[in-house]
Amino acid sequence: MSKIENTGSIEASGLEKVYLRGSEKVVALSSIDLRVKAGEFVVITGHSGSGKSTLLHILGGIDRPTKGELSVNQIDLTGISEAALTRFRRDNIGFIFQFYNLLPSLNALDNVIMPFLAKGFSWKAARERGAVLLEQVGLSHRQKHTPGELSGGEQQRVAIARAMAIEPCVILADEPTGDLDTASANSIVSLMENLNQRLGITFIIATHNLHLVELASSSYELLDGRFTQASEK
Amino acid sequence: MRALGYFTLRDLFHDGWRSLLTVISLAVVVVSFLLLAALSQAYLSFGNQTQASTNLMIIDANALDPMESYLPESILQAAAQIAPTQILATFPSLFRHLDIQGHILQIRAVPLDDMQNRLSLTLLQGSWPAGAQQMVVTDGLIQVTSWKIGTIANIYGKDFQVTGIVRSSGSQFASVWMTYAEGLSLFGSANGFQIGYVQLTPSADPDKVRAILQSDPRINAHAAVYLETSLADRYNQVNQNLLNLSLVQAVISLLAITFGTYNAIRLSLTERGHEILLLHILGFTQAKLRLFLFTRSLFLTLAAYLVGWGIAWAFITYQGLHAPISIQAAPLILSLPASSSLLGLLLSISFAFLGVWLTTGSLSRRDLSALQD
Repeated sequence: MSKIENTGSIEASGLEKVYLRGSEKVVALSSIDLRVKAGEFVVITGHSGSGKSTLLHILGGIDRPTKGELSVNQIDLTGISEAALTRFRRDNIGFIFQFYNLLPSLNALDNVIMPFLAKGFSWKAARERGAVLLEQVGLSHRQKHTPGELSGGEQQRVAIARAMAIEPCVILADEPTGDLDTASANSIVSLMENLNQRLGITFIIATHNLHLVELASSSYELLDGRFTQASEK
Repeated sequence: MRALGYFTLRDLFHDGWRSLLTVISLAVVVVSFLLLAALSQAYLSFGNQTQASTNLMIIDANALDPMESYLPESILQAAAQIAPTQILATFPSLFRHLDIQGHILQIRAVPLDDMQNRLSLTLLQGSWPAGAQQMVVTDGLIQVTSWKIGTIANIYGKDFQVTGIVRSSGSQFASVWMTYAEGLSLFGSANGFQIGYVQLTPSADPDKVRAILQSDPRINAHAAVYLETSLADRYNQVNQNLLNLSLVQAVISLLAITFGTYNAIRLSLTERGHEILLLHILGFTQAKLRLFLFTRSLFLTLAAYLVGWGIAWAFITYQGLHAPISIQAAPLILSLPASSSLLGLLLSISFAFLGVWLTTGSLSRRDLSALQD
């Protein structure tokens, strides 16, 4: 995989997300302005319920903002159709989840090649590329193992390989070390840092992990859906 | 296509128990459909049996069942005198419904010459009853019993041997035919006979002759005259109810396969909502998801249909061999016609497809962020 140049920028202004819980309005995000340059390693911190996941979902086209403007990789996501949003996710965004979200029926290699198949790669090409990706995350010897046969750290590595499959310009990671022991967490942090530096992929990570905050090129803190603090290195 | 088949099979085998339960629940629906369709088809066949005879029948006017009819010889002589140019022959017939070896059968006794030449009986196998204690049986009887040529059955304390198998052109009743003399030796002559047959000349109009006979006081004082066909209809009034029932059965069976398939597939997919959502987030469009899920559902439906069809076939075969159904001595034959099987298969696939379509269609209205829940 070659280094990605000048892609993966994010510009958001005035983002707001309001949910309806019964008849009650819940403000999950309010007045979010965010500018991320291509290749940055951004960390978002905040308590549970502060809006971190909601923000990542909106940035990744999983959810839509109630108000505000958003463009990712110079693609305006405001008001685009559901089908276009699906294509946007498929072509631009890699996702890493706290609980890995691997398909339990498939082995590691099959999980990694799913994005290739979504994009229309041939079976052979998808498997060849998938094998390379697993090698990059140090799991070439675990290709045939199903998620149930892998440790938490290994499952997260498979998830990272899957996130990298379509050579995304942005990877959004929601508590990627939240379910791991310290050694596995450190290993995952190193892997993400390495991918960021080596391939220039923009990372936006929602986390409580202080080690990740130290590594971040910029970090933001969310409180009740608003940025309260931002720092850049 | 290779990837589609691979992932579908892998997914189904990994999900072994859930796949098996889905197949079983669908197979139950398929069996219900096929059995209901078979029953409905049997009722239709039962009700549609026609009779081509132009014979007239004279029966006691007050008898609801021919078995309760008691007629004297004089009534046949009177009939022959009333319309001599239009009547070729008249002959008596004894008629009983009896439980013989666990089967409700019709026993009919007519003179041998009339049996061979004046009734719509065709000898299929064997020979006509020539000697004492011999009888022929209808193919309808063969379908509900294990009798064959040479079988000896005890009727009213006397052993009768089956010498031949006949087919009548009317309702396929399970009937035993013996000579009139043998019938009289069994049941006696004190109560006369039950049915008087009137064979008409080829040019005679059965309706007109019936009206003439019916209007004569020598006949209408005791008896009523029917076309042999209308008597069969009167006797089989149950047919109309069966026909109505068959329509209800047909509708229920179609509903069973329709909603049963849809529900089973929808339930199976709803349980997998999390995984479907994940694939959607990874960039699988609705069209690709639908193709994958439809393939999966198609495999399940085909497997279930095969199992269900096999069970239904085994049941019907067993029932036909060991526990045949008959209504008023007429066998009700269950079968699995290709048309019902094909209709069931098409409906199953169609409604499996609808289940997939609606489940994936609802993705666009779902909150994708629910994946984190």
